Amino acid sequence: MQERTWAASEAPDSDAAVGGIEKYRLPLAVAAAVPVVLVLIYTVGDKDTGLVTQSVVTGLLLGGVYALVSIGLTLIFGVLGVINFAHGAMLSLSMFLVFWLTSTLGLPVYLATVVAVPLMLGFGFVVQGGLLNRLTVSGNHEGSLLVTLGLSLLITNVLLMIFGGRPLSVPGSLEGAWRVFGAIASYERLIAFGGALLVALALTLVLNKTSFGMCIRAVSANSQGAALVGVNVGRVYALTFGIGSACVAVAGGLLAPFLSLTPTVGEEFTILAFVIVVLGGLGSVVGAMVGGIVIGLVQTVGALYLPGTGSLILVFAVFVIVLLFRPQGIFGVTR
Amino acid sequence: MQKLIGVAAMTVASIALVACGGEGAEGEVEDIVIGAVHPLSGALAGAGTTMSHAAEMAVKDLNEAGGIECLDGAQLRLAAGDSKGAAATGQSEAQRLIDEGSVALVGTYQSDVTQNVSAVAERAGVPLVIDVAVDDAILEQGYKNTFRIQPNATSMGTDGGAALLKMAEENGQSIDKVSYIHVEGAFGQSVFDAFEAEAQSAGVDVEEITYSPANFSDATTVVRQAASGNPDVILATGYYPDGLLIAKAVQQLNPDIQAVYGIANGAFDNGPFPSDAGPAGEGVLSANYHYDANDERVQDIRKRFQERYNEPMETAAVLTYQAVEVIKAALDQACSDDPMEVRNAIADIEIEDPLLAFDGPIVFDETGQNENATVIAMQVLDEKIEQVYPAEFKAADLAYPAK
Amino acid sequence: MTRAVERPQDSVAAADDPRLKDNETRNAFVTLGVLAIVLAVLPFVLNERFESIAVLTLIFALMAVAWNLMSGFGGLFSFGHAAFFGIGAYVDAYLVVEYGISPWIAMLLGAALATLVGIAIAFLCLRYQLAGAYFALATFAFAQMFLLLVQNLEFLHKTEGFNLPILGGESFWMLQFRQGSDLYIWIPAAILVLALAGVILYVHSRPGQFVQAVRDDAVAAASLGINVMRTKLIAVGLSCALTAVAGAFYTQYYFFVGPQQAFGAQVSIEAIIPAVIGGIGTIWGPLVGALIVGPLAELIDSVLRDPPAFIGFLQGVAGLDVAIYAALLIVIVLFMPKGIYGTLKERWRR
Repeated sequence: MQERTWAASEAPDSDAAVGGIEKYRLPLAVAAAVPVVLVLIYTVGDKDTGLVTQSVVTGLLLGGVYALVSIGLTLIFGVLGVINFAHGAMLSLSMFLVFWLTSTLGLPVYLATVVAVPLMLGFGFVVQGGLLNRLTVSGNHEGSLLVTLGLSLLITNVLLMIFGGRPLSVPGSLEGAWRVFGAIASYERLIAFGGALLVALALTLVLNKTSFGMCIRAVSANSQGAALVGVNVGRVYALTFGIGSACVAVAGGLLAPFLSLTPTVGEEFTILAFVIVVLGGLGSVVGAMVGGIVIGLVQTVGALYLPGTGSLILVFAVFVIVLLFRPQGIFGVTR
Repeated sequence: MQKLIGVAAMTVASIALVACGGEGAEGEVEDIVIGAVHPLSGALAGAGTTMSHAAEMAVKDLNEAGGIECLDGAQLRLAAGDSKGAAATGQSEAQRLIDEGSVALVGTYQSDVTQNVSAVAERAGVPLVIDVAVDDAILEQGYKNTFRIQPNATSMGTDGGAALLKMAEENGQSIDKVSYIHVEGAFGQSVFDAFEAEAQSAGVDVEEITYSPANFSDATTVVRQAASGNPDVILATGYYPDGLLIAKAVQQLNPDIQAVYGIANGAFDNGPFPSDAGPAGEGVLSANYHYDANDERVQDIRKRFQERYNEPMETAAVLTYQAVEVIKAALDQACSDDPMEVRNAIADIEIEDPLLAFDGPIVFDETGQNENATVIAMQVLDEKIEQVYPAEFKAADLAYPAK
Repeated sequence: MTRAVERPQDSVAAADDPRLKDNETRNAFVTLGVLAIVLAVLPFVLNERFESIAVLTLIFALMAVAWNLMSGFGGLFSFGHAAFFGIGAYVDAYLVVEYGISPWIAMLLGAALATLVGIAIAFLCLRYQLAGAYFALATFAFAQMFLLLVQNLEFLHKTEGFNLPILGGESFWMLQFRQGSDLYIWIPAAILVLALAGVILYVHSRPGQFVQAVRDDAVAAASLGINVMRTKLIAVGLSCALTAVAGAFYTQYYFFVGPQQAFGAQVSIEAIIPAVIGGIGTIWGPLVGALIVGPLAELIDSVLRDPPAFIGFLQGVAGLDVAIYAALLIVIVLFMPKGIYGTLKERWRR
């Protein structure tokens, strides 16, 4: 009974028949609001046009980065109902994995990312299957929260023991930038954005078109019911966590070229990732994508008017409003 | 009743655990203990560990040179503490080190931790020699036992600004307008405020652009913002990853400016910067407190450090080494291992030939600030960080305009 | 979901049964008496160099006991107790530094303000029916907003924080003593004992029984005529007030408080860890948890500083201490999912 309130696990429902046009009203409104606000900023925003264009491009690309990080989290959070505190640490782990593959084996960074994906999938599977499942299945959410917290400390400090705390850079990726309407978009970030779209697409297909995806959605909607019809809930949980971790691996590999790597680098993203996941709706991959882009835009375009932490206050204000008035998020189904 | 026994047993057990925890400090009474508090884990562990190593090496070097002569060659011993980057932990570590008999403390790399540790030092009557911690506020509390070797934020802003204007003038360039990108918070703000005052008194227009230290993973917009006012120079104050991002964004946007100039910038004169930044780093200028690369003693210490710990000795670590030397000199002068006498000796001390590129000997004013602490200008030239200004510390010719 | 509950089936009935109530309450008070004596003699048996760890442990205990009121007994999982801790710490710092007001008064004012803010936040969240993870995230968001706000407010010194003036002498009224003074242990210990006494009374009182009933089944409780909102807000208010007191004492003991020390996400976590490790929804769990978590990090540190020969190679490896600490946390939670006290109590019951 408590479980429903914790997980609030409305999976992305592909059946349009249920809600009809009604259910797309808010997503459409948000999608329409973004260009309207941008047009307003261009026309009456009293800022240099080139600067606004740049901030929009940067915001979109940053949004792609955020989306990439959030997609794995929304899956884990949505299906398992676990606040995965180790998410940021797992992102760091992926980046260092890619760093290690590039620096010792000499793999190109994007090939190293491909290698890191199955490794992280296995890691996630083992973590959920070996550590968390007992707690998740019995509904002990304080316990799982603490375990992921411990895991986060553990990963960060083991990375510190191995690699030290000095900032590292991943060598040899694609330098250079693309110019669009006078704004700059670096290739590395464009690739990350493309990666986010690709991951979102692949995950949506897996969730909606495969029988395994159906199992995940079933467990997410009602784990007891799924167990009754013969779904191995523990296994689905473990695989879900694994897939979430694999998404993190992609994120790590695509972000590593333009970030300075320290063991705590991933944690910077954790808080915003939670904001995005709630904004987009728990378990909604499309929601994470849109939420990421919205937050990215709010942060960079907002920074033109509210510099520094000001734009972050704005982000949290949006977060609280969404929590209070539409806790299921923009793309969640109305209860 | 079982509950009662349980809780009581728990309490007793945990007291016993704590009580047994730290035995073994006895038996080495003759050693003079110097306590060092640095972040050895957490986000700043990289720099903290290097600094702790530097303290260790300084103690070893001084012991090999005969210890404290007037105390019958008493040996020094380093007690290292881990602040974990947190103020409360820093405080309890400082307290532990004082309880273990430290005559003086060295630390702590972070301004907030330093505030806490300096309060402990003040109340315990033990001197604290700050190696790195930049906020002006630390020495504004009127504490008697806290001393700082490096320049504070304000003086770096002022001196960094003056140096920039002079360099431009000597190279026949004029600066009318600059854009200054800095991290939010006391550190960035005080450096900027001081620079702004200095620049405005010379008739230079200053545009301020700030960014949040959290979630700063793309510098394109702030640099674009900085460039949009057509400045002659873009300045930056912030931490390592920020500086790297800013340098790369400047390269991509390629604005028509004379130079990128960091003041108290965590990246631009840091060892790995030229290779991490690649072509984006070329020509970048930085005004910062820095070890004196031309000094032979510094070269020797840094070479041995690299051999021993297999990592480069950055400026912060050289400052730690210097701080331990200051305490050693004070012990010599006081001829006592009483913390208060050591404190008085530090207050009167004059260290000629510091390891840092300063204006003169290390001398502390009544607030505890080293009067001669200042910045020098460095520039990335052919993927190497070279000292370029002022003339007495110059190792290579300044390229200005840098772009 | 399963929680360690005193008496799941008849918790409402228990309140009305004087015999049961008396027995349990008396036992609890006897335990508390023993605890008070142990804490009173603590400074005499404790080496002075461990004072700061003892104080930190007591602050942890206060925070965990407070958190447990709202999240253990009340079932409202707060992930933003830093907000209330921070309010306590900052009200104290601000009033003491700017106006020289006695910290005791500042402590009470901070507690009052934290209670108001906490009730307002909880009311808003409950009004819009946020529960579980959503409630947790909402409290977290509020704590983060306070953090960002304080960093931007000039009159709260932005990121610089507050340094308390050092008086030089000792003063009970100004809550300032020489370093290493026994009072630095006795005062938080006394607050802790009082708080626990309050918790015992509260848990066995009508509002306390009601809130547990609401936690276990809100619909059933409401149908019995319990005012769900009011009982929850009482638990929230008590919890926030106590957390703020811990915050004020933090400022007094550490002499410096900045935004991260007061409102950082780490602070919220520090309130949760001892409570979960010890056992949530129990009277003694948070205390037991704090007694273990508080000294644990220092214990690991001291072993690693001077390691036995067979692990000598580990000396000075940065990060190892925290890694071991984290591993221990995970192991404890896995093997004692209801917390150390909660799990042991269940074994004894059988």
